[in-house]
Amino acid sequence: MIKVENLTKKFGNNEVLSNISTEIKKGEVVSIIGPSGSGKSTFLRCMNLLEKPTNGKIYINDKDLTDPKTNIMQVREQIGMVFQHFHLFPHLSVLDNLTYAPMKVKKMSKAAAQEKALDLLEKVGLSDKADAYPNSLSGGQKQRVAIARALAMEPELMLFDEPTSALDPEMVKEVLDVMKDLAHSGMTMAVVTHEMGFAREVADRVLFLDHGVLVEDGEPNSFFDAPKTERAATFLEKIL
Amino acid sequence: MNLDFTQIVPYIPFMLEGIWVTLRFVFFAILFGFIIGTVLALFKIGSIRPLRWFADAYTSIFRGTPLILQLMIIYFAVPQLSGYDISPFLSAILAFGLNSSAYVSEIIRAGIQAVDKGQTEAALALGVPYRQMMTDIILPQAMKNILPALMNEFITLTKESALVSTIGYLDLMRRAQVVGADLYRNFEPLLFVGVLYWSMVMGLTLIGRFVERRLRVSD
Repeated sequence: MIKVENLTKKFGNNEVLSNISTEIKKGEVVSIIGPSGSGKSTFLRCMNLLEKPTNGKIYINDKDLTDPKTNIMQVREQIGMVFQHFHLFPHLSVLDNLTYAPMKVKKMSKAAAQEKALDLLEKVGLSDKADAYPNSLSGGQKQRVAIARALAMEPELMLFDEPTSALDPEMVKEVLDVMKDLAHSGMTMAVVTHEMGFAREVADRVLFLDHGVLVEDGEPNSFFDAPKTERAATFLEKIL
Repeated sequence: MNLDFTQIVPYIPFMLEGIWVTLRFVFFAILFGFIIGTVLALFKIGSIRPLRWFADAYTSIFRGTPLILQLMIIYFAVPQLSGYDISPFLSAILAFGLNSSAYVSEIIRAGIQAVDKGQTEAALALGVPYRQMMTDIILPQAMKNILPALMNEFITLTKESALVSTIGYLDLMRRAQVVGADLYRNFEPLLFVGVLYWSMVMGLTLIGRFVERRLRVSD
């Protein structure tokens, strides 16, 4: 589904990602963890080219994203993204947030887009909020709307950039539950997270980044129980 | 102290007509300035270097010289160069519109840049093209932020419009002067058009408040 080859990203002279290679298969859920400043968000953002890689290649369904000839807008239609700070469109109602991109980008009819949107709102448990504006929602509700907004484009891959980090503790679960459902439905997901419980329980694989280097790439249980590297062991010691 | 407002009564229709004359060119100048200003703002935040350079130079020139000078250049100096005898009405729209667009472009630029960068990223991540992102997502949010500043600019323009009396355009201000010269009394006609200017600005203020309230439904 997505293949990353020797990905390097520099901001000026600062190398935030060094030579990362990995692959995410269809239906796989991958957690990306690491200390802050390790480059995990940048890595995620490279996958839909919100950050332009300095070097290396990223293939999505064998299409090279870094090739200038690739129509990046078309690729982005297939990749949903959920942000730490939601980034809902505040001047649009919840329903319009969900129908905007399908109607404008995919040229879906209004009726079809609304039907799809209401269906998704039901899935994330927010049917009653269709006509509300984002500012009237709680953080957890906003993030569930944001997930539904991304899903409305029927993406093949979902990227989550610390989706629960900006939430009050009691709202983390409602968002994680939605993500779990999504994982169980077979969605391919890449999740940057500090929720180790989620990483361990839901993810098929864990990527551990430190200082822009992919230090470990493996199955969650063995990673959490017996990390292969010193750096991962120190990190886990600090947070668990 | 002998104020006598009865003397200006016969001139009232003449002065009231000035409202229409003033409003007509103010309206076009605001519209013209707003459109050019929006385009300049988009140039300024865009990635095309020559356009950015042009917009900056434009702003620098029109903000850096007196409006009355720009008005005089357009009305008196342009005909000398081009041979085209420009009317006071057209030169007023041009001068005020071009001048206003320099200020409006700065207001809109600041408004666009004040919109959370996450909005752009969210739109891009959904595959929304730049143009649609600007018109549907960024500009509506920017407009809400800049409305008070924009209203200020429109109010300033309405009042500064009195400058066109210097090129012989029969606006409110000029009419007050004509009446004053006729009666040898200046206080009454000047006070009268002063009230008219104030009423026009109040009208604009009320429109602004109304629009602001309408835009605030999402809060």
